[in-house]
Amino acid sequence: MIDYFALLDLERRPFIADESLKNAYLRKSEMVRAQTNELEALSSVNIAFRTLSNPATRTQHLLNLEFGDARASRLAPDIGAIFGTVAEAVQMADRELGSLSAQSSALLRALAYQKIDGVRNKLAEVESELSKRESALLLELRQLDEIWHVDPTQCRDRLAQIALRLTFVQKWWSEVHERQIRFEELA
Amino acid sequence: MNDIVGIDLGTTNSLIGVMDSGFPILIADQNGSRLTPSVVYFPESGEPVVGAAADRMRALSPERTVYSIKRLIGRRPGESEKDDFPFVVKSQAGRMLVEIGTSFFKPEEISSLILKKLRADAESSLGHPVLRAVITVPAYFNDAQRQATMRAGELAGFTVERIVNEPTAAALAYGLDRLGGRARIAVYDLGGGTFDISILELNDGVFRVLSTNGNTRLGGDDIDRELMRLFKDRITARHPELRAELENKFFAARLREIAHAAKIRLSTEDLVQVEIPFLSGDRGFSYNLARQELEAIARPIIRRTRSHCLRSLDDAKLDPLKLDEIILVGGVTRMPIVRQFVAEVFQRLPNIPQNPDEAVAVGATIQSGILSGQIQNVVLLDVTPLSLGIETFGGLMNVLIPRNSTIPCKAGEMFTNAVANQTAMQIVVLQGERELAKDNWELGRFELEFQPVAKGLARVGVQFEIDANGILHVLARDVQTGHEKIVDLHSAVDVADEAVEKMIAESLDHAFEDMGERLWTETVLKSNELLPAVRSALTLVGEQIEPEERRKIESLVLQVEAALKSHDQRRLKQANTELDEGTQQLATLLIDRAMAEAAKRRR
Repeated sequence: MIDYFALLDLERRPFIADESLKNAYLRKSEMVRAQTNELEALSSVNIAFRTLSNPATRTQHLLNLEFGDARASRLAPDIGAIFGTVAEAVQMADRELGSLSAQSSALLRALAYQKIDGVRNKLAEVESELSKRESALLLELRQLDEIWHVDPTQCRDRLAQIALRLTFVQKWWSEVHERQIRFEELA
Repeated sequence: MNDIVGIDLGTTNSLIGVMDSGFPILIADQNGSRLTPSVVYFPESGEPVVGAAADRMRALSPERTVYSIKRLIGRRPGESEKDDFPFVVKSQAGRMLVEIGTSFFKPEEISSLILKKLRADAESSLGHPVLRAVITVPAYFNDAQRQATMRAGELAGFTVERIVNEPTAAALAYGLDRLGGRARIAVYDLGGGTFDISILELNDGVFRVLSTNGNTRLGGDDIDRELMRLFKDRITARHPELRAELENKFFAARLREIAHAAKIRLSTEDLVQVEIPFLSGDRGFSYNLARQELEAIARPIIRRTRSHCLRSLDDAKLDPLKLDEIILVGGVTRMPIVRQFVAEVFQRLPNIPQNPDEAVAVGATIQSGILSGQIQNVVLLDVTPLSLGIETFGGLMNVLIPRNSTIPCKAGEMFTNAVANQTAMQIVVLQGERELAKDNWELGRFELEFQPVAKGLARVGVQFEIDANGILHVLARDVQTGHEKIVDLHSAVDVADEAVEKMIAESLDHAFEDMGERLWTETVLKSNELLPAVRSALTLVGEQIEPEERRKIESLVLQVEAALKSHDQRRLKQANTELDEGTQQLATLLIDRAMAEAAKRRR
């Protein structure tokens, strides 16, 4: 397993500032180009940057390096509840999008407006909720970063949960946001 | 000489450039023109003609003059629905072919003729052979389209050193004299047939693409087509007897030229007088086209670029206000409506270059300079536009390389045998963003070979690598034997040619049978939705319209009801359309009312 932190000459920890990561990537990328310019080496640097840029994949990578394949085994119940709201909002949106796209009449669309407005509000609510959760998770990640050096093992379970949750929250946010964009397209 | 040239192989025009004492210079042809129309004319006898001379033959010999071939390059049958070319396009053995007389040409062969002419112009201007080139493609081109473009270059006698994304090239052209700084720019590239939006970060000579999005079936040609339709409507309104004549290929070709020219003139003028000569006799049709009319039909087409802009900003995790510049590329961006639209989406005035149709070629030339070492301290970090993955059990797509990953990049997967002694497993490779495999574009498929062993013991590692051209290479390695193999992907259509063609032929037959009945049913359904909607609308906001208008709407309703009894599909469709158009004001009132209620609820 390649250590992406080491590859970019970065310290192995849960939090990295965007600027620091970017500078490290550009520095290393330039070095590789000057030395070998080989596809294999360039690819690895690119993948390292991509993995470390996303907090979810970065945290998972960190856990893999420190503890082997440490994935959170169970999904906490509150995540399941959000999934319910997301699924419902997305399904409602897909139904309306389906009938909207079959519609070419200004009048019919106007009549559907109220219903669509309701659906879009729901999507905006869910999107906002997911963004809040993401921010909270990122804050927690920063806090764990402080105690990481003191006691990595203590952070382990918490980090595993954060990695899993971030992955889901990000994915769901994209799904919800995509529906918003599709409504914009058809409006 | 070892010069590398930079080529913009555009839908409408192509350009070629070379580095000269550290500067990118575009090369002119014998007539002093730096733009070569991407048009090829095939005379009955003799060599094909490329460029402005071929362009002049479009209205004279529409079946033998090929234009916008970029819309067909790398496409498979079934992927081009609305392309209504006057020359014959066929599908045969899983590929698209252009038929001229008794000859067949692959799209890349026709593109190579354009490239050959550019090469000849360059060699003539430079006085020595030119063998190496950088060629641009839309950022959103998929693997097949990129490979076909490379082949076109090779057929023209070039070693293609790099395939470069057009918006990235334009960014290079823009940023070359701003190298010391830092900036975040968006490139809005609307060409004849394709649209791309890319967001880049410039950082001390490093041009890093953050995200890219687009539509390879959206461009200025679509506006031309709609303008043609407007002209046809106006002509038939005044001269209904000419309806058949309007479908004539010669007339259509001439009309397209006129539409294209009128569109261009309306970028600087508010009104143009259009003269359309008829085929029969020496009558003609004179029409005053106002810029507003053009904008009314262009607006929905331009609006389609919005969602791509939004997605690109999302992927780059940037708010439009965080951008430093918006750069417009492509001739169509000269239209004022495009500039207004871009300003609205990005909330700032776009940067309007002197020559929006030269930026890409200049950028390609700069890239050639980087590759040959003539330009130092400039680096391009581009991305792959589409997610790459494989089909899994259950018909889902498993993403191996997500979209907007910096290239080159690779991803590996380990496969094992599901049953004992299984010797092969088919892997389907996809590009796209949808959840279900079947909703994405199939790049190709291959067979993985296993040693015959017990279930779960075979181990074959597959490496998927996207190179700097954005093209996929697959390498399979049997972990036990150590045997490595470069995998050749073939597309599903190559494999089951006859079966697929039979399917297409059959579905076409049935389509004609059912078509009449289906059209009537669809039109009736529309009426059955519209009528109650109109009644409902009149109840809700009817008192807000003039009695005169209300009477008009009621008579349009009666018209639909009468047409329903007539079983005349055309008549019913017309009645529906008129009722639609007649209730637009009602629709606006309804929306106002709904918005007012929504605002009340929120308080």
